[in-house]
Amino acid sequence: MTSFNVIRWIVWKDFVTELRSRETISSMVFFALIVILIFSFSFSMDQQAAREVIAGIMWVAFAFTGIIGLGKSFSTELQNDCLEALQMVPEAKGAIYLGKVAANFAFMFLVEILLFPMFVILFNLEVVEEISLLLLVFFLATVGLSAIGTLFSALTVQIRAREVMLPILLLPLVVPVMIAAVEATKGALNGDPLAMYEQWLELLVIYDVVFTVVSFWMFEFVMDS
Amino acid sequence: MIACHGIGKTYGHFQVLRDVNLAIAEGECFALFGPNGSGKTTLLKVLATLERPSTGHFEILGMHGLKDKEAIRANLMFLAHGTHLYDELNARENLAFALALRGHHPTDRDVKRALDRVTIGAFADMKVRHYSAGMKKRLALAKTMLANPKILLLDEPFTALDTAGTEILREYVRERLSDNGTVLLSTHDYDKTRPIASRAGILRHGALQETAIEELQSDDLV
Repeated sequence: MTSFNVIRWIVWKDFVTELRSRETISSMVFFALIVILIFSFSFSMDQQAAREVIAGIMWVAFAFTGIIGLGKSFSTELQNDCLEALQMVPEAKGAIYLGKVAANFAFMFLVEILLFPMFVILFNLEVVEEISLLLLVFFLATVGLSAIGTLFSALTVQIRAREVMLPILLLPLVVPVMIAAVEATKGALNGDPLAMYEQWLELLVIYDVVFTVVSFWMFEFVMDS
Repeated sequence: MIACHGIGKTYGHFQVLRDVNLAIAEGECFALFGPNGSGKTTLLKVLATLERPSTGHFEILGMHGLKDKEAIRANLMFLAHGTHLYDELNARENLAFALALRGHHPTDRDVKRALDRVTIGAFADMKVRHYSAGMKKRLALAKTMLANPKILLLDEPFTALDTAGTEILREYVRERLSDNGTVLLSTHDYDKTRPIASRAGILRHGALQETAIEELQSDDLV
């Protein structure tokens, strides 16, 4: 029960501070809009061609905006040495990890939902029938990104070059998520039968479970070191 | 109580603490003096379980400093240089958040009483971003009061506090001591510390030399 309270309060704090400062979400949305606009002007293509490449473009935008949000997740704790207070919480640190994962997931998923209509409009996509499957792919991939990204955000927060180190360390580890997300998104956008790309969804589920559990246990050591 | 046994701390090749032995009983306030860079904050961080000692070990309330961290943290508050406050939250929200993570849920009345006691009750709904350094220090003190810990670690607690704030802090320390609490504070200010400290020590190049507080000379503190 106490752990659940810690999770709840961490999520509440991250939401309230973000609502008031609007630092993280605004920088994520701004960056993603630039990426989308650049790609939309770079390619002039019909709907079929767009369906082939849009999944890759979409996940490049989502992954990099996600890294911006993840980077801020723990750097905001450096203000007034708040990280020390989190380290001194008399509870297993896994609850703090889960609270941070939940907040990071919510910010990233919200930005993806806000940006997706931009892709639909600028690349002239028809997605009404595939929307539920696309949302499932977004959900699973974003859980994976936030699970591993939260751990690395904590790991790099005390490093001087953390803005550089976070993507360098994180991107190689999220390659399976990115490949699975791109393939599953492409399958859903093309209207392929689910059986043709369900193995990618399974990979996302396995990745989410494995990296959430591993990161949960490792977070204690990261916070104590 | 606090007991340090041969605590040493090195960062790379630089030795910050050397064989620190110290025992502070219940109801005692120990003042730690020493020049900048002498290791005062490092010693407090080790005891606050934020830093791991390179050598030696310590006990707090009879609990092992490395094995019983969570239990120690539940009984200890560290009033540090950084105030551990979120700028975007107001005073009430900061208190609610910090105390909830420690498993405390003070009533609105308790929060109001604590904020009034540190004389920032009128600013309870103002974001901490707009607070002065002294107000932040008072809010951090209010948080400590509500947590009511058995062990109190204070890192240069008089910094940024005016005369009234200093007296509020000293009164609170006296209260903790009369309630058998244990206080360890680092400071440069002999005059403000003298009324509350029962014992003192000087850290020089990481080595602790204990001395009676009455015998301290002003040049010892430079």
